[in-house]
Amino acid sequence: MNALRNLVKARELPVFLALVLVVGIAGIANPGFISATGARDILLGVAIVAILAVGQTFVIVMRHIDLSVGSLIGFTSFLIGDLYSQGYGLWGGLAAALGVGMLVGGINGFLVAYLRLPSLVVTLGGLYVVRGIFNDYAFGRTITAAMVPPEVAWIGLNRLGGIPVLFLIGLVLVIVSGFIMRRVRAARDLYAIGSNPAAAELAGIPVARRVFTAFVINGSIAGLAGAVMLGRFNAANANSGLALELVVIAACVVGGVTIAGGSGSVWGAFLGAILLQAITRAIGALGIPQFWQQAFNGALIILAIAFDKYLSTRVKTTTIMGSDDA
Amino acid sequence: MLPTEFLASEPVLVMDHVAKSFGGVRALVDASLTLYPGEVHALLGENGAGKSTLLKTLAGVHRADSGSITLEGIPFIQGGTRDSIEQGVAVIYQEPSLFPDLTLAENVFIGRQLTAGGLVDWLAMARRSLALFERLGVTLDPHSKARGISIADQQIVEIAKALSTDARVIVMDEPTAALSSKEVERLFTVVRNLREQGSAVVFVSHRLDEVFALCDRMTVMRDGSTVGRAMISDTSEPEVVKMMVGREVSELFPKLEPKIGDVVLEVKNLSLAGQFADISFDVRAGEIFALAGLVGSGRSEVIRAVFGIDSYDSGSVILEGKTLPKGKPSVSMERGIALVPEDRRQQGLFMASSIARNVAVTLLKKLSSGLLVRRADEENTARRWAGTLQVKFADIADPVEKLSGGNQQKIVLSKWLATEPRVLIVDEPTRGIDVGTKAEVHKLLSQKAQQGMAIIMVSSELPEVLGMADRVFVMREGKHQGTLDRAEADPERIITLATGGVVSV
Repeated sequence: MNALRNLVKARELPVFLALVLVVGIAGIANPGFISATGARDILLGVAIVAILAVGQTFVIVMRHIDLSVGSLIGFTSFLIGDLYSQGYGLWGGLAAALGVGMLVGGINGFLVAYLRLPSLVVTLGGLYVVRGIFNDYAFGRTITAAMVPPEVAWIGLNRLGGIPVLFLIGLVLVIVSGFIMRRVRAARDLYAIGSNPAAAELAGIPVARRVFTAFVINGSIAGLAGAVMLGRFNAANANSGLALELVVIAACVVGGVTIAGGSGSVWGAFLGAILLQAITRAIGALGIPQFWQQAFNGALIILAIAFDKYLSTRVKTTTIMGSDDA
Repeated sequence: MLPTEFLASEPVLVMDHVAKSFGGVRALVDASLTLYPGEVHALLGENGAGKSTLLKTLAGVHRADSGSITLEGIPFIQGGTRDSIEQGVAVIYQEPSLFPDLTLAENVFIGRQLTAGGLVDWLAMARRSLALFERLGVTLDPHSKARGISIADQQIVEIAKALSTDARVIVMDEPTAALSSKEVERLFTVVRNLREQGSAVVFVSHRLDEVFALCDRMTVMRDGSTVGRAMISDTSEPEVVKMMVGREVSELFPKLEPKIGDVVLEVKNLSLAGQFADISFDVRAGEIFALAGLVGSGRSEVIRAVFGIDSYDSGSVILEGKTLPKGKPSVSMERGIALVPEDRRQQGLFMASSIARNVAVTLLKKLSSGLLVRRADEENTARRWAGTLQVKFADIADPVEKLSGGNQQKIVLSKWLATEPRVLIVDEPTRGIDVGTKAEVHKLLSQKAQQGMAIIMVSSELPEVLGMADRVFVMREGKHQGTLDRAEADPERIITLATGGVVSV
């Protein structure tokens, strides 16, 4: 009973219902949509965004944001292929990808946590700086299929039990992160920081250290996810990952990770990513011109925020009126 | 336990000759506080006496510049908020410091969540906090989110938090300010239980009746120093008020002989739910009418409503016989009211804009041709006013943020005086400005009044009120508590009214 009540109250429920609705409508209109191939298309397409959305959740629950992840993942996907083709092997490339991710996350985190600069501006700068360095590094070159490490190509092509490996990687990350966000003290601090930053200081939470760490984690995830992206597309160029951060943030917001911080879960962000992808596919399946897709997704973001605002103002009104025993 | 029995034991906390400055401002000069286990100790003083700074030093928010603090005989480590919590100090702040998105259970244990095998143990936290809530005599669901619970319940959660850390010193900074009388009773019961169990509770309140009902001993602060200590049973409310005020009204303010004229502004039965109720007064030409009371007594809210920034539920504001529409500051301005707000940086000035622009902004209609502002006229007007008020500036085009606080305040005043108002409302006109400029501002207000302007002044500084006002309207918790004529007004009477006492004149 309690579990049922928690499920109904969960922020993730509306997202899940929306997902069922979208799949249902598209399925009725075009039965092919619900086929194994249709589902696989969605799962394959969603993996990268889902992985980045998990990392982004660590940042957004603290009332921060990280816009640099699109440039970062593009750069590391290129880097992994490039280093492999130069004979550094898979592990050399992965280590470099992780290193770049940690470095970018660390610089973002340092500026935000210790110099108290606004994360929106810091990571917007990061977006351009990383992209600029990436462009110079790539210098018109592209990573072709022959330059992709075979293990990376393998995860992009294969399935386990009928489910794309790419998606399984995302799923494992969600399960692990979901558990951490729920059961590890330091991760709980992130929610406290986003919910009431001043009170977090007063409660003795090491706010700066937590903010720094969360940015490093997000950077690391984005760095390593370069391998996933390279596996998915089997190619990379200077435009890889362009504007991807916006899709990631959209997934978080749609999935109930409040931009004002303090609430939301990696599961919500994950569902949000799937929902956006499902809508994209459904639009195709329903025969709606593809360029409507972005408008749909945009409307959905606004809807999600309006829904959130509605919830919080409703609560606020009850506060001003006082509670029952007042 | 007899009221004085706790004095036989060793003190739990000794703060001795603590001093703390922020930049050039000495917030604490010589503050001392001794607490015994099993006592409720009142910390008293006017706004700005240094109570909050002293408590924040204990909380680990500030670090004392000098002086010593010992807790149970051991030097107190002033590391940060976490160190204070770990040493057994819990502070319940006036402003809510719960996490609205977290459950009550997690709020109780935040930063110290119970774990099993390194992982957060939600069940244990819920069970423990439920037990704490029961011990405090309330029924709260540990699983529900903190968002939306009443202030009284928020305090209970904070107290539960204090209990969960086994705090030996529990500080409550004005816990009753926002409570109903029933909630105050519940809080008192909880505090008395804490005392029974041997905690030392510091109780900050401006309501002297509560202090006398609840506390055992008291420490009085004034201007950053401890000026008195007493057993509650050995003292009386008038004595406490005298200790809190304890200073001569300075002769700094050159009040000119007023020429009181006809009623200009009438406020009738003005009410706004949760802010103020049934406020009536009238102000005459040439009069300086002071609204006095403690911070949070609703003075600023009343003048905001009078000027039209906020709306109100009932009542009326009548200017020279004509009712003003509510919630329309532009109409109030046109009809001759001006409001110099309390917070000049946020509400009074465009900090990054030029002096000229700031002064002239109230006159844009007059200084424009069509859609364009005549820049030369703008600057000339600003220069004229800056000259009248003796503002010290390098260039009229400099941003106002370059000016000192006192000169900034003069800019705000000129901007509103430039509209040539019939009624000038000033909210804390001299807060945070130097003594010299302060006297100039007072002189200016006095002159303007003599020329027939009606002035409403909100001030938390008693010397200012006593030095300037022709009449003093004292508020407490949104209600009118009494009005004193210039001849009747003295610090004791004003404080007594502001803290809920009765004054015979």
